[in-house]
Amino acid sequence: METPIKSKVFEQFNEATKTLLNPVLQDWKKQGGKIIGYFCSTVPEELITAAGLTSFRMRATGSTSTEMSDAFFSSINCSFPRHCFNLALTGEFKFLDGVVCVNSCDHVRRIYDNWKRFVPDTQFIEVMSLPRKTDPPQIAWYRDEINLLREKLEKHFGVKISDKTLWKAIKLHNETRRLQKKLYELRKKDKPPITGSETLAVMVAGTAMPKAQYNDMLRELLDELKGVEGPGDHRARLMLVGGILDDPAYVKVIEDQGGLVVTDSLCFGTRIMWVEVNENIKDPAEALARYYVAERPSCPRFYGEHDNRSNYVINMCREFKCDGIIGERLMFCDSWLVEHYMLGQDLKAAGIPMLKLDREYITGGVGQLRTRAQAFLETIGR
Amino acid sequence: MALVDKHPEMVRYISELEWFKFLREQTVALIEIPEMQLQVKTLDSLLSMYGRIIDAVENNKPFLASYYCLAPELYTAMDLPYYMVMQTPFLASSVPYLLKDIDAAEEMGLGNDLCTAIRLSIYYVEANLSPLPTCALNLLYPCDGAPLLHEVIKRNQRWRNIPMFAPDPPYYMDERSLNYFAGELRNMVKFIEKHTHRKLDLDKLKETIECSNQMFRLWDEYNQLRRNVPSPHGWGIGGPQCFSQAWVYQAGTPEGVDWFKKLVEIAELNVKAGVGPVPQEKIRLFWFDLLPFGWVFEFLPWLESEWGAVMVMDMFANFPYTMIDTSSEEKMWLGLAKRNLFDSPMVRQARGVADNFANDIRRIVKDYKIDVVIWPGHMGHKDGSATVGIMRETCRDLNVPFIHLGLDLFDKRYSTPDQIKDKISQFFRAMGLG
Repeated sequence: METPIKSKVFEQFNEATKTLLNPVLQDWKKQGGKIIGYFCSTVPEELITAAGLTSFRMRATGSTSTEMSDAFFSSINCSFPRHCFNLALTGEFKFLDGVVCVNSCDHVRRIYDNWKRFVPDTQFIEVMSLPRKTDPPQIAWYRDEINLLREKLEKHFGVKISDKTLWKAIKLHNETRRLQKKLYELRKKDKPPITGSETLAVMVAGTAMPKAQYNDMLRELLDELKGVEGPGDHRARLMLVGGILDDPAYVKVIEDQGGLVVTDSLCFGTRIMWVEVNENIKDPAEALARYYVAERPSCPRFYGEHDNRSNYVINMCREFKCDGIIGERLMFCDSWLVEHYMLGQDLKAAGIPMLKLDREYITGGVGQLRTRAQAFLETIGR
Repeated sequence: MALVDKHPEMVRYISELEWFKFLREQTVALIEIPEMQLQVKTLDSLLSMYGRIIDAVENNKPFLASYYCLAPELYTAMDLPYYMVMQTPFLASSVPYLLKDIDAAEEMGLGNDLCTAIRLSIYYVEANLSPLPTCALNLLYPCDGAPLLHEVIKRNQRWRNIPMFAPDPPYYMDERSLNYFAGELRNMVKFIEKHTHRKLDLDKLKETIECSNQMFRLWDEYNQLRRNVPSPHGWGIGGPQCFSQAWVYQAGTPEGVDWFKKLVEIAELNVKAGVGPVPQEKIRLFWFDLLPFGWVFEFLPWLESEWGAVMVMDMFANFPYTMIDTSSEEKMWLGLAKRNLFDSPMVRQARGVADNFANDIRRIVKDYKIDVVIWPGHMGHKDGSATVGIMRETCRDLNVPFIHLGLDLFDKRYSTPDQIKDKISQFFRAMGLG
């Protein structure tokens, strides 16, 4: 399934998903710019932007093996950190000037421990302590975490992150969120001008280039899509729900069976942009803490929020007129296993069909995915 | 009317009670062996805990559902019985229906790669097989599984209206984290007071903590005795029993202190006599995890009989044993926070950065003259399995062999006892051990 997008700017976005150091980042580096890699979307990117650096959401695009990292992780670990750490060991992340980790899950948080010990040439490596709950003491804790990281960035990179520059970065990132939301709004149409896999490419690209430049490019794409209609030949409208998914090819396999993905609850999707950072708070660190801990749509990493997550998924599903939901989960991910277990029950009660898919980080087993997607579409009568 | 007619959720709990009564009878038959006298005391304390919960349910008295390493001294001081939500996998994994329950959990849609202890606990809650408490204290550490279990509990229809509190764990080991977690514990007590109408008396807390300190001091003293060659005890008595007394059944009670005194006394006799669990101790091993509770009798006696391999130390048996300063209220809170967050076994390794995986190996290998470090690699311990490289490097630096097995501590079908025995035998031979 393809839309008629024949756009230069889209090709640049698409290119960014196929490589780590994409051409935009290469230019940034050539101009002396610095890049900070970050694991998990709960790391406040705004802080990195405010320091005059570019943030890069860690992924293992292009990885074909975990040969070296298998000595540090084991076969019951998720393939995402194993591929990522393998690339770290083979020097593929040498373009990074620093890495910020967070205790997001049992697999990914150990990247910090291993990286610190076994990739010694990384000069700046930090871990943030993200709370499990969303109450006021936890927001206060994360506000302090943000300020501590702020001080470390200032010290290491010799910059000053004033409240003013931080607010400027927050406004810039909020603009990114608004533009991305506009893109999603187009997908509510009966004949969306952009597919799910193409949208994912746009979203992934947004985590791999300077935000100001990305915003300009995204504005251009939105202009190009004005008034455009997609083929509308899909069998069903679907929503994707799950953890890290940065490979548009995975979504394309589903869409090639006729299931057009029109929205999602993903951390390369709506969870990072559906809600904005509140700009009407005095302290920018407080605003960021509230956003990352309590205000944006959460993932199962946060305790006590399942009902909100479930309502979010059901509301989005209805808003985008979806016929069914695909829950994707990386093998060995406890968080999404249990979340999908509970969500499946909630969706059943709401009369929304759900397909649960386990996958490896690097897309493979396409035949099986194709068969399951086909069977699901038939099950929902499409 | 029988209790289960009115409270169907008590079925499993009562079965477990009967199972422990049966085990006690078997143990009493061996009462002439000093260690068995201690095992009987252990079972008595466990039966007493089960009895208190049943009494609370029958007579509508307040009781808590909680977890390990969540400041049990507080519940003792408030005279509140509690049970561990995860009690079956940890305390009663020898029950005959365990494998059937694991299959039922899988059929429920929980797959087979989530920690079996978490899966089972979710199953017991979802299938209405866990006592419904007055209020619940939910643990959000040391791994992803614990908060997920509690998320399911919070959402469960029968548990939905039960008040719950979950202290949030910071990721670091510093003063700021300690103050933060102490604040969480204070809020936890306010919550318990509100929902159980029991007040925390600080004098009683001081008394309880002093008792608890004495237990930890004796535990530490006992561990010093295990440094001897031969070790006075192997897997049969030690870490799990000590943990059960100090952190679960008898936290901060005079009975708990007596239990530890008896343990030290027995171990001293063995040291004086120069005897251990096997006629000739050939390999001193450090088992860096929980014991394989689901199939312990099919495996650990073999290690001793086949290889003369004695489990001198395990993950649950050794930590810093920091005493809690009871000279002020503030110090007690900070001490409780430290003990439960920084010191407590498994939590100290798995909750935060991986430093304690390496630090504990270094300390224990040196102190206990360890010949081999075994990382069982339980299928649920994902953070630990992402630390194998660090553990292996640490052992390489210490020049001590290290093996990563890959098993399920509760389900012997994951890797069978024979497969594990074979793997270990090959490794021991290759390393020239035994």
